Order: sequence, then structure tokens, then C-alpha cells
Amino acid sequence: MDLASKLEKLSLELVQKNDYLYKVSVKIDQLESLLLSFINEFNYITLDSINCRDDLEDGLFTITYCLQTEARDHIVMVQTSIERETASLPTMHTIWPQAEIMEREMHEMFGVDFPGHPTLIDFALEYWDNIPPLRRDFDTLEYVNSMNPFRGQRTDALDTKEEMKKKREAKKAAKLKAEQEAAAKAAQEEQNNPKQEVSGDE
Amino acid sequence: MFGLDKGDKMESGFYGSSLKCKFEESGLANTHAIMEKAVRWFESRSIFVVAYGTGCGAIEMPPTFTSRYDAERMGVVGVATPRQADLIILSGYLAYKTLRRVIRTYEQMQKPRYIMSLGSCPINGGMYWDSYNTIKKLDDYIPVDVAVTGCMPRPEAVIDGFVLLQERIRNGEKAGWEKYDENLKFYKDNQKRVLGGHVDPAYETDWYNLNGGGIA
Ligand code: SF4
Repeated sequence: MDLASKLEKLSLELVQKNDYLYKVSVKIDQLESLLLSFINEFNYITLDSINCRDDLEDGLFTITYCLQTEARDHIVMVQTSIERETASLPTMHTIWPQAEIMEREMHEMFGVDFPGHPTLIDFALEYWDNIPPLRRDFDTLEYVNSMNPFRGQRTDALDTKEEMKKKREAKKAAKLKAEQEAAAKAAQEEQNNPKQEVSGDE
Repeated sequence: MFGLDKGDKMESGFYGSSLKCKFEESGLANTHAIMEKAVRWFESRSIFVVAYGTGCGAIEMPPTFTSRYDAERMGVVGVATPRQADLIILSGYLAYKTLRRVIRTYEQMQKPRYIMSLGSCPINGGMYWDSYNTIKKLDDYIPVDVAVTGCMPRPEAVIDGFVLLQERIRNGEKAGWEKYDENLKFYKDNQKRVLGGHVDPAYETDWYNLNGGGIA
């Protein structure tokens, strides 16, 4: 059975994005069985990534599993939605070991729970006790400004434009002076021994 | 008086030749001051560095210390652990998680100890100014002796930083670690503010009995 007819039987739509990229949206209760059939029947054996998108307006998280074939010639994106409030997903670490770290990160950044996951502890952040930082209701700017205010301006700060102008003018003046000096020196030398040059010519 | 003549550049070859004893000028009586000056001079010429690659600037460390720019000709050598180091180089932005480890590392170093930061990130956040997880002003948390600007600073700039630090050591200027000891409460309060009190182990804090602890 090919992929399209199999999905038709499950009344799912396979959207072809380009030569090698497909997308299929699925309800959360069908997710696990569909992922397993992708592995067992269609050889999509590799999990590339698990991504999360925060649809704040709809109260949903949109989760995308990217699977790749063994031959690395096709990718399918399996998309599903979960409630933002409860935010719970089945863990896939028993199928793909790499899912463990991906889910751990998602747990930290979006606050998604994975019942049965062995290591749902701190990942990149430590002791974080605020809203998970990649949720859209977390006001990053306000948090940053309250935690890490900018350094005040220097009291002895100079105007860069003016300083550069002064510098350029000083450089010009120095160059001019050097040129004049060199010219004067040359003139003096000529005055001191003009005969030598003449004798050299002869 | 011991010391390099002003204008004597460090790169001018065999530095021993530029060490001059001008005993008459300073008067032999003040031997102690002379010795101190000598010690400071030698200290400035032997700086052991632990390079902590906190951010992107770490990539400038290998050329600085190896044959291309050769920081060793100025007496600056890399070492493996903070307990053997005089100087810690923090090369770039610091996440809270990194800051926690940097404080721990810094407090393991023996005095005198110095800190050098590379890049604009430790000065004012740099391009990570709006990150929820990155500090802006490193010198609020630990005393930075030399802040080298740039994004990222070239090895020449880093070497300039070494020269500045050496000058400061030779002149006997007040170093960061002395300020740290004097204003420990200020630093510890700032650390606690962003790290939520999870700064462990609490070496210095315990020494100064600010954490309710105290070791003999
Ligand atoms: S100053 Fe630039 S090079 Fe250095 S850590 Fe920041 S962004 Fe990276």
C-alpha cells in the first residue's frame, strides 16, 4: 500500500510541499499509531526534530514531527495540536532515543509535559521559575529590562563626529607640516652643495 | 628604582636589557619599596591565564597564544585550571548558567587574581541585549580588571589588554580582587539578584559570614 492510499483510509490528507517534502495533519489520539506506521510501513525511520509553535490566539500548541526516510530522500512533517492549558504530549523516547533531549528542551522552553519521560529536568536554563520563555505570553523585553538594565551613559563621553573631525584635521596639518619641512630641507641641501651636483653631471 | 623606561616597548626583544636599577634616584634606604616594585615587575611578566570560552570570542584565544601572535613573549601563558592561574579571560556573553560557573571558577583562583573580558557583550549586553538568559554588565557580578572592546576583539586588541594589565600591576594600582573583597556584599547581592541565591559552593560568602554560614 502506498502512502497516499494508506492515509486516505485513515481519512487524512497528504499535502505535497515539493519533490521530497510532505505534510500531514493528525489528531493527537492518532499521533502515536501514525508515527509507528510511518516507521514500520514506509521506512521513515529517522526523527529529525520536534518543533513547537505557540498559537496563543487559538489557545493551542502546534507540534510538528519531522521524519526522514532511510534513504534520506523524503521528509514528512506530521503535525498535531494540543491544548495550551494542559500542554501534554506522549513521549517518543522509547521509539527514538534522540527524542529524549528534544522533549526535554520543549518542556523547558514551552512548558509542555511528557508523562513517562525519564529526565524532565533543567536543560539550558537553571532554576527557572517564570513563564517558560518561548511562550508568547512571556514578555521578554519587560523581563530583560527588569533583570538587566542598561549601563548608564558615560559622563565623559565625547561626540564621535567632532572628535573624528578634529583627528582628521590634526592629521592633515601634520602631513602638511611634514611636507613643508621636507621641501625646506631639500631646498637647504641644494643651497649648501649646489656645485657637487653640477660636477656630477660633468 | 626598578622598571621599564617609559616608551620601552615590550616587543623590543630581550627585555632584560631594559631593566635598569637607579638606586641613587630612589635612595637605597627604602629597600622595602624597591623590593615591592621588583616583585610587582616580575609578577607582571608572568601571567598565567585560564581562558574560559564563554562566548564567540573564544575563537581568538588559540591564535593569541600560539605562534602567530605568541602572547608568551610577554610572559602570558595558558594553564589548565583556575587554581594555577592569575588571570581568567571571559571571552564573550555570559548566560546565567555560565555566570554561576564563572563565579565558582573565579573564587577558586589564588590571589592576586585578575579578570579580563572580551567583547561588547560583557560590557553592555552586545547583540544579546534582549536575551532572557544573558547578563549585561559583567562588572556588577565580578570585578573586571580589563575589558577589551570589539565584536569580537582581534588578537592585537587582546594583547593590548595584556599590556594594559601589566602596566597596572607594575604601577601597583588597586586590582579587581581587592575591590571584590572590599565590596563583597555589593557583588554577592547582585549575584543573588539574577541567580536567585543559587550560587554554590559559597566559598567567599562563607569566609565573610554573609550567608549565615562561616568556616573556621
Ligand atoms: S561581543 Fe560579539 S563576538 Fe563577543 S560574545 Fe558578543 S556577539 Fe560574540
